[in-house]
Amino acid sequence: MDARWSVAAGFTPPLWAIVLVVLGAALAAIEGFRAFRSPPLGTSRARGAAVLALRLVSIAAVVGVAFEITLRIEQVSPLGRRVVVLVDRSASMDLADAVDDDEALERRQARLEALWERSAGAREQWVRDGLLVDVRGFDLSSAPLPAAEADTLATKPSGGGSDLAAALSELGEADPTQRVPVVGIVVLSDGLVAPDRATDQHVLSVAESLGVPITTVSVGAPEIRDISVADVRAGEFAFVENVTEIEATVVAHGYRDQSTTVSLRRNGEVVYERPVILRGDGVPHEVRFEVAPDRIGQFVYEVAVDPLEGEATTDNNAQAFVQKVLRDKVRVLHVAGRPDWDVRALRVLLRRDPNVELLSYYILRGFDDIAREDTTAPLSLIPFPTDELFEEQLGSFDLVVLHNFDAVQHHVGGYVDNIAQYVLDGGALVMIGGDLGLSDGGYAPRSISSILPVDTRAPSDNTQGPYRPKLSDTGRRHPITAWLDQSSGETGWDALPELDTFNTMPLAPWAGRLGAAVLLEHPSVRTRDGNAAPLLAVAEPGRGRVMVLATGSTWRMGFAPRLPLIDGARPYDLLWLGAIRWLLRDDSSGRLSLETDKPRYRVGETVELQGRALSAAYAPEPDIEIPWQLRELDGDEDSAPRSEGRWNTDAQGTASTALEGLPVGAYIATASRELGESSDAVSEEDDPGVHEVRRVFIVEPPGRELAKVDADPGIDRLERLAKRTDGEFVDAADGESLPASLPVANADEATPDNMKVEGRDDVALWNGWAAALLLLLSFGGEWILRRRAGFA
Amino acid sequence: MRPPRTTRRQLLRGLAATAPLCALGSTRAPAPSALRTGLHFEAPAPDATVLAAPPPGLPGGFGGWAPPTGDPIRLDLPQLEYEGNWAPRPGAMRVLARELRLRTRLEPMSEPTTVGARERALFETPFLYVAGEGALPNLGDEAEQNLRRFIDFGGLILFDAADGGADLAFTRSVRELLGRIMPGSELAPVSAEHVVFRSFYLVDYPWGRTQVHDSLLAIQEEGRLKVMLTRNDLGGALAETHSGLAAYPCTPGGADQREWAMRFGVNILLYATCTDYKADRAHVETLLRSRRWK
Repeated sequence: MDARWSVAAGFTPPLWAIVLVVLGAALAAIEGFRAFRSPPLGTSRARGAAVLALRLVSIAAVVGVAFEITLRIEQVSPLGRRVVVLVDRSASMDLADAVDDDEALERRQARLEALWERSAGAREQWVRDGLLVDVRGFDLSSAPLPAAEADTLATKPSGGGSDLAAALSELGEADPTQRVPVVGIVVLSDGLVAPDRATDQHVLSVAESLGVPITTVSVGAPEIRDISVADVRAGEFAFVENVTEIEATVVAHGYRDQSTTVSLRRNGEVVYERPVILRGDGVPHEVRFEVAPDRIGQFVYEVAVDPLEGEATTDNNAQAFVQKVLRDKVRVLHVAGRPDWDVRALRVLLRRDPNVELLSYYILRGFDDIAREDTTAPLSLIPFPTDELFEEQLGSFDLVVLHNFDAVQHHVGGYVDNIAQYVLDGGALVMIGGDLGLSDGGYAPRSISSILPVDTRAPSDNTQGPYRPKLSDTGRRHPITAWLDQSSGETGWDALPELDTFNTMPLAPWAGRLGAAVLLEHPSVRTRDGNAAPLLAVAEPGRGRVMVLATGSTWRMGFAPRLPLIDGARPYDLLWLGAIRWLLRDDSSGRLSLETDKPRYRVGETVELQGRALSAAYAPEPDIEIPWQLRELDGDEDSAPRSEGRWNTDAQGTASTALEGLPVGAYIATASRELGESSDAVSEEDDPGVHEVRRVFIVEPPGRELAKVDADPGIDRLERLAKRTDGEFVDAADGESLPASLPVANADEATPDNMKVEGRDDVALWNGWAAALLLLLSFGGEWILRRRAGFA
Repeated sequence: MRPPRTTRRQLLRGLAATAPLCALGSTRAPAPSALRTGLHFEAPAPDATVLAAPPPGLPGGFGGWAPPTGDPIRLDLPQLEYEGNWAPRPGAMRVLARELRLRTRLEPMSEPTTVGARERALFETPFLYVAGEGALPNLGDEAEQNLRRFIDFGGLILFDAADGGADLAFTRSVRELLGRIMPGSELAPVSAEHVVFRSFYLVDYPWGRTQVHDSLLAIQEEGRLKVMLTRNDLGGALAETHSGLAAYPCTPGGADQREWAMRFGVNILLYATCTDYKADRAHVETLLRSRRWK
């Protein structure tokens, strides 16, 4: 044991006092030096020096008293040595296995507790050797075990994984509260701490970097009976009506030549089953499913294997994942009454998009052209297959574009009922104006006119002349035209090319019932009711969507001498791609959305379910009642909901619920809202309907800890770990115990910064008779000498 | 999904005999490609003597129907005006516009305009006809920049060599011009299978006043023809005198050759307005049958 001393201040006066003392001391010192350098005549240099010395001693004495200066004497010795015991708390420790086929199964945790108990003598020896034993548990994180638990290690392991690398890393990090160096580590585990080779290497690297021997204790045994879905491989996305593959790896131990069934469930319903005969022990069985999703949306898929008798656990018999099914190709029917530059522009745009499957029919000849036909001229034309398009195949299209199309003239007038029904059933329709389509009253029949946002019961005027459309308030928020508000001045059209044709049509009297909205208006033309004439109007009749564009000149938005590009895109492209997204109900264009903050949760996490309502004008819609339900995805739609309620949206149009305590499983949340006033509907078909949205999510076990349960790789891993770090390997399944002489590293030599204080003595220099005497002698001595020497 | 009232359709079909039919094709001489589609024409063939409009107040709710009364939206077929011999075949576009009006549903202007390459009006129409005899003069940087932008935004330029193969100067200067405004792109022969040869008529040759070059040259990028160069003097075959006679004799085919050139011109304009629409048709049957009813 050594002694070391230091000087410490026992009192810290207020700042003003410190300043006062320092200033006074400085002035006194300066005055002392000045007197020393310019002594009175006849004063010897030795006397001057004595006066100065006494002055400095006086100053020191005053400062010592003011700051209560203390002499600290410490007795120190080098720090001790620490051994950390890391105990695996993951769920795999609760599995039962055996050394041989004919032996009884034993839980790994029981094996661990037995080893700890029979190693009590060894542990006592560690303490006698001066080792401090620090017992910590680890799964996905690590923490010291309570003293009672550290004595027996008795507990129910349930951790979702075994992150040994993280637990070791924490030991390597400097801990200011724990200065005793780690000289050895003991790991008690089944060794299932690395699901893949990369993690395995990482564990070894971290262990080696610590530079201390690691003694490993394997509590696993080679014989286990279990079957698990070890891995599932599937894309995060799939495309509707396209085959997508889902591959699963099933691993079985102890069930050689037995058969079972692997099933694939979608939203709780079994869609495929595959019989599997289990062959070699631990041999992975690849099971492949080919699925062609029949509709878009989010789905929970689950690969599950039927449990077998005597399995160590059935918690690993299924694995679920969420897959989003997207539309593959948008199927568009483009029918034009006459080829022109607008038809060309829209066709080029649609053809350019690889996600669009385009079927076009353009009327290339009129009746008078046919009358003048040269019968010898070989034509490449075909008849217009009206029946096939508008009766047999209409429902196969995602979007129908009637582009300046005079339906009656081309025998399509008889099919407008079909077109209207197609929209009510969920189809999307675009009607583009011009000199033919909206100008002849061909869309006057009630069936079609009642689903349009503008009144087409009478032919519209087709005027020609330049104008700049005006963006409506609704248009500033609507996904089709919102970009105009940010890019093109107050009117929304300042920098864009003028349009030059216009079909004057008033807003339909039933527009409100359809959730109709006018996005663009003519700047000067007024309808009979005095309102600005709509140029671009949208509606949502039934389950479908409709857009009417009262001009055939939007092509000019993509072809102009000084065309402004917005984020690198032509305004024409932005308008039409936005329109198509809205018409096809792209995720961002719904008037009710239901979201969870993520698709997968760990058990215990809070699930935030949020609904958002938008008005027809795409403004947040407050005070909307949204009933919602949460069900388990077990395939039974009639089962009682696990949770349900009614939201009333706030000023931001949102409402939410925090779902807590959901057990492991797959869930589907649904919410719905009314889209309009159905009481005004003229017929059942006119009912705007209810918009329902759904969202699926999974609550998972804490980790995939149980995907691979065989102890063999873990035993090998622990043995390698001990060997690489000069530690010792202990096999608990063979009845071995912890070594009494634990491999440890040599502790560093004691350094001044790495000493433990054994004792301390503080000697106050500022109080007591000595301090008073010093003050008296120094002040008195100086006064006497100054008087004798003739100082001022 | 079936029409709720089949009687209405039956009525309309009956009406077809008295209504103008605007079928997409000829029922008398269907093209082989049309036959391949397997589509059938259900309506009866039109009667050339009948009038256009169905009577108002028809059962089924078509009382609102009336023939459009406004002016049709007319397409311009502008010709580039430049310093030099920019109109070697005056009136060629006027004749083509007339024939388009007579033969197709397109409604071109009676008097196509002319436009300078530096004018804003260049962007009034995404089609430009450039004729010339002999070398093109230097159009200037601004004009060339405009032409580049014209093509980039989706325009189509039709160059027409009035020399008909007798002089390569125009073709050479067009190549040089394109080398500047479309660097990296080169004129190349267009396959006889290309849709431009069947966009309306079935044509097998780039007809013009002469028959010297058997291929149409073009720059094809991004799935469309951006520039075309006809070298058999298409304008020469189209142009007429004030009395309506052919202004220049077509050799060696005479009147027949002129008619074929007219058809080729029609095809080019149908391609300009519909692009490769006709290329869709070959896939119609597969397309229709590849999806099931929703």
